Amino acid sequence: MSGSTQTPSLPPTSVAMQTLERIRGFPEALVPMRERLLANLVMIAQIPAPDGKEEQRVRFLLDRFVEGGVGLAAADEAGNAVGQLPGKTGERNILLVSHLDTIFPCGLDHNVMVEADRVIGPGVGDNALGAAIVSLLPSVLEHLGIELDSNLILLGSIRSLGRGNHEGIRFFLDNLSENVDCGVCVEGMQLGRLNYFSIGTARGDVTCDVHPEPSRSYGTESALVVINHIINRILGISIPNRPYTVIRMGQMRAGVAYDVEPDHAELGLEIVSHSDEMIDQIQGRIEDIVAEMSARHAVEAHLDLFFRTRAGGIPFSHPLVKGVLEVMRSLEIEPDQGHSPSELSELISRSIPAVTLGISHGERGRKRRPDYVLIDPILAGVAQLVGVILAIDEGACGEPPKGAAE
Amino acid sequence: MKSQQWLTERTFHHSNFWNIKWLVEEKERQGLSISLCLPTLNEEKTIGQEIVILKAELADRYPLLDEIAVVDSGSTDRTCEIAASFGADVYIASEHLTEQGNYPGKGENLWKALYLLNGDVIVYVDTDIKNIHPRFVYGLVGPLIQDPEVHYVKAFYDRPLASSSGLRPTGGGRVTEILIRPLFSLFFPELAAILQPLSGEYAGRRSILEQISFPVGYGVETGMLIDIYERLGLYAFAQTDLDRRIHRNQETIALGRMAFGVLRTFMSRLKREQLVQFQQELPVTMRQYEVHDREYRQLESEIEEIERPPMIGVEAYRQKFHPEEQPA
Repeated sequence: MSGSTQTPSLPPTSVAMQTLERIRGFPEALVPMRERLLANLVMIAQIPAPDGKEEQRVRFLLDRFVEGGVGLAAADEAGNAVGQLPGKTGERNILLVSHLDTIFPCGLDHNVMVEADRVIGPGVGDNALGAAIVSLLPSVLEHLGIELDSNLILLGSIRSLGRGNHEGIRFFLDNLSENVDCGVCVEGMQLGRLNYFSIGTARGDVTCDVHPEPSRSYGTESALVVINHIINRILGISIPNRPYTVIRMGQMRAGVAYDVEPDHAELGLEIVSHSDEMIDQIQGRIEDIVAEMSARHAVEAHLDLFFRTRAGGIPFSHPLVKGVLEVMRSLEIEPDQGHSPSELSELISRSIPAVTLGISHGERGRKRRPDYVLIDPILAGVAQLVGVILAIDEGACGEPPKGAAE
Repeated sequence: MKSQQWLTERTFHHSNFWNIKWLVEEKERQGLSISLCLPTLNEEKTIGQEIVILKAELADRYPLLDEIAVVDSGSTDRTCEIAASFGADVYIASEHLTEQGNYPGKGENLWKALYLLNGDVIVYVDTDIKNIHPRFVYGLVGPLIQDPEVHYVKAFYDRPLASSSGLRPTGGGRVTEILIRPLFSLFFPELAAILQPLSGEYAGRRSILEQISFPVGYGVETGMLIDIYERLGLYAFAQTDLDRRIHRNQETIALGRMAFGVLRTFMSRLKREQLVQFQQELPVTMRQYEVHDREYRQLESEIEEIERPPMIGVEAYRQKFHPEEQPA
């Protein structure tokens, strides 16, 4: 997650004091459900679900929805897991979404280890924990004795990551017959995360293929070297301080052996910015660089940006943001406000007020350390999520007051 | 052929018992209580996952299990701490029934579990399973709840009888296929139909488990099968396919020691039943060999296979479970 911003002083409470008092008791009330939450986390994490192969996780969620008393539970046409829990009045529709796909291939050992203080395994935080909480939410609400006025729509979305490009949630939102009044994206990490601004993101690959024909007049034998030239040129692109913009080069794939120069190389990169125009400009610059290098080195080089989210968000003064902050404060959760490339952008771009929340603390695998999430904070994370749903149910998803500063 | 008929009638798949709600209702109707025993020795990598999943699904969600307990052989890692943190009862085997002494070995834990745990049915599940799932328990207790004639249920894994390409071997482990099944075929032919006699997951009624002796070491599974068979016959058994089990693989040299221990237990049963006679006591030393830099070394392992007597003969046990039978 990107850096946090300082929390301005809050206007008077938008969530009823009685509700906040009730929310304070949730972590303790949820203790009897701890093992069920963890079991769900372990079982979901152990199901491999790379992009496009989420069927088993979808089945798992649907089974859990049914067991939790969700009358309407089915996979939609795109393959998303969808459950609908009707409210008492049904005057609002609240959408809870967690993505089901992971970056890990099926062949990887997905077995999970549970230690006294943490759960360790591929993708436990991103996003097995989020999916585990959404799958168990009907049972959590029942356990806490909560009956909502609003309808609750639970979504386990497929094809979110990489080339999936949010295909699952896009399909769902584009084809849902009802309006969604408010959305919450549930991510495993980090507790305190509060995203209500979606940063613009473009992700894709630069591919380079060297042709072995002897007729090539000049150039290099190695696709890796050409990619290196392209990287150096991308590093030379000047990036403004404002609007916030970054080019990240996160993946590199090339070669099969020490003594064979690769004839194919790939560079995975992303451009993130608060400005969609800036992303467009940088995309144009990279396209020019790739085209020039392609010609100069007589290779086939291309830029393929397959993932795109638009920048946008709701204002800090929005009742939803205020409501979330009050819920967090009541649970003594330190908010970390930043932007998110998650499903949030799909909701925001359709004018649906939405936030992304995290459930626990942990780490995504870096420097060869495995992914983990801490167990202790999970109940506070779930309490926070239920508290936010209650706040929305009581009206914290309406329009902000007129003239409110963004 | 009796064993073929038994194989057909008493071989189940865990999916036969997917309706856990029904199992719970039927268990309660019969007034049965069920205890899960997890024998451990340094299993910190897998114990947390096993307890979390089995407790959540089979105690919290569906109250099939009345008790979940770890019986530990003296772990030096965090096994006991992790088990306790997720709500399992933790017993150190050496701290209980101290008047009976203490011996190292999984069988010792299983034997003492009869005293420590309270269920009418005891389910034993090894703790090195990486892909633990509730089926490892409900698949084993299902036949016991369903049929009062079944007293002991054994797990087997994969799908041993048929595949899309036709028949294939049963898929027992190496020790099973080259030692146990040939021995069963020779001396207890009906027991050869038990597909994976050495699997570490099984469930039994207290009423039979308390009647048999428990080898404390490698021979505990084989000893149980033979002793229950001799008392109740083949139809006291059932077996359930639990699909896949992922666990640590043992090296061949370790399997050799295991085979030695199992063989000693087997021979003691043959001798007891007067099926064979030995001119002298069998040795307890297993000899194996290794080579390093062209130097050959003999490795000796002492594998004694001590047997615990039937628990029903232990005074403290009778006081706890059969107080009405105590002399006035």
